Amino acid sequence: MMLYRHLLLAQLRGAMQYRVSFVLDVLSTSLITITEFGAFALVFSRFQGLGGWSLVQIMFLYGMVEFAFGLTDMLFDGFDSPTFAQHIRKGTLDQFLLRPANLMIQIFGSSLSLRRIGRIVLGIGIFGYAVIHNPQVWQLEKLWYLPFVLIGMGLYFGGLFLVGATITIWTVDSTDAMNLFTYGGKEMMSYPMGIYSDWLRVLFTFLFPVALLNYYPALFFLGKPDPFGLPAWMPFLAPIAGFVMFLVALKFWQFGLKHYQSTGN
Amino acid sequence: MAHSNSCVHLTYSSVRLFWEITKRSLQRHLTYRTATITGLITNLFFGLLRASVLLALLSGSSSANGWNAQDIVTYVALTQALMVVVSVFGWSDLMNTVYRGEIAAELLRPTSLFLFWLAQDIGRSLTALVTRGISIMLVCYFVFAIKVPSSFGQWLVVLLSLGLAMVISFAFRFIVNLAAFWSPDARGMARFAFIALGFASGFLMPLRFFPDWLQHVLALTPFPHMMNSIIEIYIGSSDARVIEILGLQVFWAVTLTGLAQLILARATRRLVILGG
Repeated sequence: MMLYRHLLLAQLRGAMQYRVSFVLDVLSTSLITITEFGAFALVFSRFQGLGGWSLVQIMFLYGMVEFAFGLTDMLFDGFDSPTFAQHIRKGTLDQFLLRPANLMIQIFGSSLSLRRIGRIVLGIGIFGYAVIHNPQVWQLEKLWYLPFVLIGMGLYFGGLFLVGATITIWTVDSTDAMNLFTYGGKEMMSYPMGIYSDWLRVLFTFLFPVALLNYYPALFFLGKPDPFGLPAWMPFLAPIAGFVMFLVALKFWQFGLKHYQSTGN
Repeated sequence: MAHSNSCVHLTYSSVRLFWEITKRSLQRHLTYRTATITGLITNLFFGLLRASVLLALLSGSSSANGWNAQDIVTYVALTQALMVVVSVFGWSDLMNTVYRGEIAAELLRPTSLFLFWLAQDIGRSLTALVTRGISIMLVCYFVFAIKVPSSFGQWLVVLLSLGLAMVISFAFRFIVNLAAFWSPDARGMARFAFIALGFASGFLMPLRFFPDWLQHVLALTPFPHMMNSIIEIYIGSSDARVIEILGLQVFWAVTLTGLAQLILARATRRLVILGG
């Protein structure tokens, strides 16, 4: 943990060397969230709602995912497929393996995409606004559960980044295919599940537990009935789903490392 | 006589050169087949999610601002097909040559820098159109029964509008990239420009669903003509409207190209001063 802190501080100092470019980066990633959510909110005002959800209810889903994904994306940047592919190609992974320190902590500390702070802050803002405008959420026993939901989402996305990195061990080049699950999953979680076709919803509830991570918890927080009539304990699977995903990803990662062959530079 | 002959020869050789650059750029981009297939699947998946949101918004009413469900699905298919063509996610190739210093050698070429890069970009756009654009439209046609232009004439104006959009989009990106001559932080600034492009071109959401005041403001900028115009013509507009749109596209293509030349001239003068 000491090592991780040292490495992160080094990253932070590095980013601060180029202050103008850092500020521009943070502002531009914020602008992505602003235009994406802004475009949706502007269009929303022309219509009567989205699958029975009001704008502040959707903001609950949207803000929560934006925050959880942004934070995970920032922390797991070293495992993000393009960054990790660089480690393999340039041989930095070989250096990491030779050092007498924990490999994962070195990779975590190797890169930290601080520019995501813009997304994270805006995510908190959107989510905070939603919490204030949805009085159903203001119950102590509900708020107790909130951190577990967020951790579940973090573990799920973190697991996906780990899987993406492991695949790069074989492909060497970065794989765009993972974007479907990371960014695609994030996009999907931003809106209520009821708007998607049945096959898509079933696939992303039972095979990939995307719906379990924030949609079912959101039904519980907002006091909305489940339109699909699944058991009442569905909202409480989020932390378990995230944990299982991360565990499987970790096993895959260890398996991948056993088969790692250096590119030889 | 001899004079006019050499003139003809000159235009022939520059057209030939333009074509050769375009062809090579096409070949280079066609090499990455696996990336193309994964890209196609990802693209379709995102299209599916975007269409779900818009259709759920529409549910309950048969149409919104003149568009019905089929129009909306057609809109999503078109934006997904065209996003690589007009580079909504940005382009920094020119900027990189400035930062790497290769620009000095590029400026020595006897062709105009603008035309050289335009030819490359059209090669890139055409590959994107063939490998991604057409395949996305075909899948969407068979699976989601999207709209197809009803006459040869409409196909023609759609292609014309697409060609103009490519030039407008390129000229805009070229100008943005020229910022690298002035600032070491041009990459960060360019990112703003491209995010604005995604919003204002009608890629994120159909412009006609935006509040009226915003539509009026955006109509004064070149952004809608990089994507939204093609969509409006493809989905169906009156003849008068089509002529108006094409006229505005020609105006912006000429204006931005002229502006790009002007800024390029200033940028190269600056480069000479720095280099001397």
